[in-house]
Amino acid sequence: MTWRIASQLALSGLSVGSIYAIVAVALAIPFKASRVLNFAQGELVTLGAYIALLLTSCGIPYAVMVPGTLLIAAACGIALERLFIRPIIGAPEFTLVIATFAIGLIIRALIRIHWQDNVFFLPAPYAGPALAIGSLRVNPAYLVMIGTTAGLIALLALFFQRTRLGKAMRAVATDQTAARLMGIGVNMVFGSAWALSSAIGALAGLLLAPVIGVNPELGHVIIKGLVAAVIGGFGSLGGAVVGGLLLGMLETYAGAFFGAAFKEIIPFAILIALLLVRPQGLWGATQVRV
Amino acid sequence: MRAVTNGAIATLAVACVALPLFGSSYQIYLAELIFINIVAAIGLNLLTGNCGQISLCHASLMAIGAYTTALLTTRVGLTYAAALPAGTMVTTLLGASLGYPARRLSGLYLALVTLGFLEVVSIAIEEFPELTGGVRGLKLEQPELAGWPLSIGVLYYFVLGVTAFAIYAGWNIQRSRFGRAFNAVRQSVIVAQALAIPPERTKLLAFCIAAAFAGLAGGLFTAVVGFIDPTEFDVSASLRQITFIAVGGLGSVLGSVVGAVVLTLLPEMLRGAKEYSDVVYGAILLGTLVLAPKGIVGSLTLLSGWTGHPKARSS
Repeated sequence: MTWRIASQLALSGLSVGSIYAIVAVALAIPFKASRVLNFAQGELVTLGAYIALLLTSCGIPYAVMVPGTLLIAAACGIALERLFIRPIIGAPEFTLVIATFAIGLIIRALIRIHWQDNVFFLPAPYAGPALAIGSLRVNPAYLVMIGTTAGLIALLALFFQRTRLGKAMRAVATDQTAARLMGIGVNMVFGSAWALSSAIGALAGLLLAPVIGVNPELGHVIIKGLVAAVIGGFGSLGGAVVGGLLLGMLETYAGAFFGAAFKEIIPFAILIALLLVRPQGLWGATQVRV
Repeated sequence: MRAVTNGAIATLAVACVALPLFGSSYQIYLAELIFINIVAAIGLNLLTGNCGQISLCHASLMAIGAYTTALLTTRVGLTYAAALPAGTMVTTLLGASLGYPARRLSGLYLALVTLGFLEVVSIAIEEFPELTGGVRGLKLEQPELAGWPLSIGVLYYFVLGVTAFAIYAGWNIQRSRFGRAFNAVRQSVIVAQALAIPPERTKLLAFCIAAAFAGLAGGLFTAVVGFIDPTEFDVSASLRQITFIAVGGLGSVLGSVVGAVVLTLLPEMLRGAKEYSDVVYGAILLGTLVLAPKGIVGSLTLLSGWTGHPKARSS
């Protein structure tokens, strides 16, 4: 394998991986805050793409459409949390897992009813012919994915380190009761965590849509996000990012060497193997089970 | 109360036996689907409702049963009466091979492992088209039940008999030492251990039993529908089965039966709005979880104070 092919593969692995990383981060934020793993996150990605489609078809320019989509998605996240998650927040894990699954099923079915199984094209100003960088040929959409992910992570790091809300979220994640005693509105933090994660999910939809088209199956990316989150150890944002990138690279190289079937199976093989051997993730500390 | 219930059960049993005499072939088919769903739901309920283990791969265990039974009749040439138990056995073994490593997990991690298993099974079905027919599906030629061909009537009574046996078996397992051990493990692993119940072995047993019921249901499904393809056994199928037990009542055999009956009939009643069926399913599931977490049977038990339900007695 020449250097050129290797780096070409690395680039596409990184770009796919950055989408996984975004989804994994979106999964990790509400999980950290409220111990709820949102199995409807994939459908929030799909929803983001369709909101973007709707706004674009209204003739709204791209520069306005993107923040608009993120805001609408955040509002959806708040609504979901308030209506369905808050009433069952202390329920057994079974209830939470199945409830979020059901929410995803409903969203996907509603999208199917309205748009059917058609694949729509979402125009993006950066879409265009492949750029030539040295001897590499690069799809500009890939560069946008990698760049956006890097920007998102930097912003999130700032958010959690510097802002009041970010610190409040970290406090709630560490100890809910103590946070409540310190005067932090825990319910408000839950709501914001869902808003943030829905907006991040929609961002993944925005990035994916110009590459693979807007369709109801877009949400399937959640599985990869879950695997990425498991690799990184649940609830660790840095781990989620590394896990996503690692998974993207692994998948791309495995596909190139061993064929498509292997590429399909590898995320799940990793998922099952890791959960059975190291459920705390590659870097997580061993938990003491009581 | 007990007399009323017994009367209702007797009436239902008579109606089930007499159905082929007056029902149309579509009604018979529908009844068979209900029976299959009952078998699958009982197995899942023992695992999830009693033992407290989340499983998102019940549909793929059913797929393994369905494909094994179909391949044993078409490729190996076994009669259906021999292929069905063999398919059930294979499914149980595969369920055990998942349950053995997963026996230490619970909650979220178990949900993820079973979700991974579901995806692996569906990829395996799609990637071996020469064996499984891939995405195009697998057609089962008219099977033979040990000698004489499976006509509509024979098949109906066969499925009915197997389902009756499954209900009886599920009922007995639930009230046996093992069923009580399942409940103990769900309520508290520590208490279970203090009562000399090994939690890991108990979970593994629950996994195997659930897999056996799923494999049996899959084998019946093959014969009844005559055609299987991977989309029948995807994650939304698993979710449908979870809806059966969540809506019917977790941890109760009667709950599995009620849930499977109500939720198999419901889409038929909504046939004018077929595309809404997923929305309705999701909404019912979500509504039950948020508003009536004990399900139909649990809520009725609370209302009537009837103590036939094991949970009502324990709590």
